[in-house]
Amino acid sequence: METTKQVVNQRKTWTTRLDAKKKRMDSVKHLVDGMLIPTEHIVDAMEKLIRPGDRVVLEGNNQKQASFLSEALAQTNPKNLFDLHMIISSISRPEHLDLFERGIAKKVDFSYAGPQSLRMAQMLEDKQLTMGEIHTYIELYGRLFIDLIPSVALVAADKADRDGNLYTGPNTEETPTLVEAAAFRDGIVIVQVNELTDELPRVDIPGSWIDYIVVADKSYQLEPLFTRDPRHITDIQILQAMMVIRGIYEKHQVQSLNHGIGYNTAAIELLLPTYAESLGLKGKICRHWALNPHPTLIPAIESGWIDSVHCFGGEVGMENYIAARRDVFFTGRDGSLRSNRTLSQMAGQYAVDLFIGSTLQMDLDGNSSTVTRGRLAGYGGAPNMGHNPGGRRHSTPAWLNMMTSEDPLARGKKLVVQVVETFQAGNKPVFVESLDAIDVKKDSALATAPVMIYGDDVTHVVTEEGIAYLYKADSMEKRREAIAAVAGVTPVGLRHDSKKTDDLRREGLVALPEDLHILRADAKRSLLAAKNVEEIVEWSDGLYEPPVKFRSW
Amino acid sequence: MKLAFLFPGQGSQKPALLNDLSTCTAVENVLETATASLNESVFNFHSKESLASTKAVQLSLLTAGVATFKAFEMEGVTPDFVAGHSVGAFSAAVAAGVIEFKDALKIVKLRGELMEQAYPEGYGMGVVLGIERNKLQSLIADHFDAKYPVYMANQNAPDQLTISGALPGIQEVIDDAREKGARSSSMLNVRTPSHCPLLASVSHDLTEALHDITIHRPVIPYAGNRKARLLYDPIDIRLDLAESVSSAVQWHDASTVLYEKGARLFIEMPPGTVLSRLAAKAFPDARVLSVEESGFDDCQFVAMRERLK
Repeated sequence: METTKQVVNQRKTWTTRLDAKKKRMDSVKHLVDGMLIPTEHIVDAMEKLIRPGDRVVLEGNNQKQASFLSEALAQTNPKNLFDLHMIISSISRPEHLDLFERGIAKKVDFSYAGPQSLRMAQMLEDKQLTMGEIHTYIELYGRLFIDLIPSVALVAADKADRDGNLYTGPNTEETPTLVEAAAFRDGIVIVQVNELTDELPRVDIPGSWIDYIVVADKSYQLEPLFTRDPRHITDIQILQAMMVIRGIYEKHQVQSLNHGIGYNTAAIELLLPTYAESLGLKGKICRHWALNPHPTLIPAIESGWIDSVHCFGGEVGMENYIAARRDVFFTGRDGSLRSNRTLSQMAGQYAVDLFIGSTLQMDLDGNSSTVTRGRLAGYGGAPNMGHNPGGRRHSTPAWLNMMTSEDPLARGKKLVVQVVETFQAGNKPVFVESLDAIDVKKDSALATAPVMIYGDDVTHVVTEEGIAYLYKADSMEKRREAIAAVAGVTPVGLRHDSKKTDDLRREGLVALPEDLHILRADAKRSLLAAKNVEEIVEWSDGLYEPPVKFRSW
Repeated sequence: MKLAFLFPGQGSQKPALLNDLSTCTAVENVLETATASLNESVFNFHSKESLASTKAVQLSLLTAGVATFKAFEMEGVTPDFVAGHSVGAFSAAVAAGVIEFKDALKIVKLRGELMEQAYPEGYGMGVVLGIERNKLQSLIADHFDAKYPVYMANQNAPDQLTISGALPGIQEVIDDAREKGARSSSMLNVRTPSHCPLLASVSHDLTEALHDITIHRPVIPYAGNRKARLLYDPIDIRLDLAESVSSAVQWHDASTVLYEKGARLFIEMPPGTVLSRLAAKAFPDARVLSVEESGFDDCQFVAMRERLK
C-alpha cells in the first residue's frame, strides 16, 4: 500500500496538456489580438502553436475545405515544423499531400482520398508518407476521442464574433466533432472564417470551445458535389430505378433510407412523383432520409412524398429552398440548414432501413470495391452505411422483412443494395473473378484489402438484367448463382446456365423486369419528374439556385 | 486556376508544321538558334519527305514546342507545370529551364539517329483501344516469343495502350486483342520499337551524352515520363530523359498528377491535338485547349484570364 502511494505522490501534475497549451499560447501573444490571429500572421502563428510530431486534425469534408489553413500550413518551414501526424477525413486538395512532399507531415490517417488517389499511391510507394489506417467517416471520428486525440484542430466556419462563437450555416458538416475532440482535451482549436461580425445569425459552436480565429483571405472551398443533372440519366438507369421502386422499396416497405450520389439513384428520386405515384406508393415508402440536399429530391418534396431529411453537409444553391421548406429539413432559428456529418452518418448506419449505392467492381460472392490499381482512394461513408449494424435492436417493417428463418432468436437486417450496370465505361466488366482491391492491398502493403461493401452485407444486387435477392440465399452456391444470373454477358455472367435462371425466379431469388410487371419499353426519360436542371428550378418555384456550371439557360 | 503546358511527341507531326507557328521575335529567335546549332536550316526537317525520318520529326517537334513556349513566355504566360510525351519531354525540360535549347537539339538529334539505327527493319509499334493494362499484359505474356519480342509500351489513357517490338509479334497480339474484346487494335506508322527494353542501348548512349551537358534546377515542376512523378531534382529529370526511350511512358498518370496538383487549364503546344484530346477525356471538368485548334491568341487570352481567378 505504502509503495503505491509513493508512486502516486511522485506525479507532480495532472495538467501537463493544459500547461503545454498555455505555453504555446503565450509564445504567440505578440502576434495575436486576443482570439484573433491577423491574416498575415497565420504562418508564423502556426509555427509556434503547432509543434513537431503533433497530431493535427485538418477539416476536409467532401464539400467544405479549410482551404486557407491548409495552404498556410503548407507554407510553414519544414525546419521548424516536421513529422506532423495528419488526420484528414477527405484528402482533396493538392496541399494536403504537399505537406508530406515538403517534409512538414509524416503520417496520415484518413477516410477518403479520391481527388488525390494517384499521388497517395505514389507517395506511399516512395515512402514520402507513412500510412496510418483507412477508415469510414464514423470510425475516424470515433478514434478522435480514443487513440487519435488531436493536439490541434484546424477547421472552417462561415462567420465568427469577437468571442469566438461560430456560425457554420448550412455547412456545419464535421466541424463540431473535430472541435470537440481537441477543445476538451486541451488541444488548440484554430478556425478560419470568411467574415468577422458583431452579430451571428445563430451560434453553431460556442466560443468557449475555440482558441483562435483568423479571417481567411478567400472564402473556404465549397464544391457542389451532390448535384446531378437529370439530362445525363439514361433509359437503362430509369429501368433500374423502376425495378428498385417495385422490387425493393415497395416489396419490403422501405420507409427510411440513404441514397448514393450516382445518376441511378438520382433517377429513383425523380421517379417518385411520377412512376411510384402511379403505383399508389406515396406515404408508404421513402418518407425519411439521411442524405445531402440533392436537388433531384425537390420534385418529390414538392409532391409531398418526403417527411424528413437529415443532411451530412449542405449543397451549393439549395440554401434558400431549404430555408423555405423547414418542415422537411433540419434548420436553425435563422432559417438555414443545420447539417452534421457525424450524426447523419450515424443515423445512416443505425436508423435507416436501406442503403443503396453503386460500385465499379463486384466479385462472385458480392464483395464490391471502387478501387483501381495504382490508386489509393479510401472509403468515405459508403461502408459505414452499407453494412448491417449488428448492434441494431429496433425493428421496422423492412428490417423484419429480411428475416428468413423461424428461429425464435431470428432478427432482421438492414437492406444493402448495390445497383450497377454489368459493364462500366470503356468496356470494363463490373462482375469480375477477383477484385483489384486484392492487388492494391499487395501493392500498397495494406493490412486488409480495401473492400467497399462486403458480400455478406449485400441483400440485393440490381443490374439492367434484373434483381438478385441475395438475402434469401441459404448457401454460398445459391448466392453465387443469383449474382451470376444478373451479371449479363460479363465473364461471370457467361458461365451461368440460363436454364437455372427460371429455377431462381421460381424460388424468388431472382426477378426479371417482367416478373415485376415492368416493360423495358416503358423505361423512358419522359418518366422523369424533371429532365434537366431548369425543370428542377421550376419545381422549386425559383428557390433553388444552381451553380453556373449547371445552368444551360 | 493552375496551368499546365503539354508538349506532344512523335505521331503529332505534319508537313510544314513550323510554318504554322505564331510570328513573333521569340519564335524567330528559336528558329534561328535551331538553324545555327544544327548547321543547316531547321526548315529542312519539316517537309513531307523529311518527316519520313525519325530524327527530322523529333527535331521539328522539339523546335515547335520550345518556340511556342517562348512565345507564351514573351506574352507573360508561364505555366505552373510542364509535361511532354516522349520527345516532347525534351521541350518540357527546356521550358522548365533544366536544359538549354541548344543542348536539347544536340541530344534529340542523337536520339533520333540512334533510334533509326537500332532496328532498321522489322520492328515498330501497335495501339490497342478498349482493354485495360492487366489484360493486355497477360495477352502479351501469352504470345511472347523471343524471336519476335513484344512489350507493353505507353499508357496514354486507361484504355489506350501501345505495344512495341517485332512486327510479327505485334500483329499476333493485335489480332488476339481484337478477339478478346478490344474496341480496336492496329499497327502504328512507326518504324522503331520505342519505349520498350529493345532500345536499352539508346538509353545508354543518351545517358552518356546527357552527362556532357549542363543541367539546372527546374523553375517549373516537370512531370516525368517513366514513373509519372513530378520531378524537382535535375538529376532525376536527366535520368527520365535518357531512360524514357526504352521505358513505357505513363502519360495518363503523368497528366493525372498535374490534375491532382491543381491544374485545371491544360494547353497543348503545337503541332496537333493528341494530348489535349486525351486530357479532355480524362478530366471532364478541366479546361483543355490546343494551340493547333484554338490558335495562339485565344490560348493566350484564356490563360491570362484564368490565371486571374
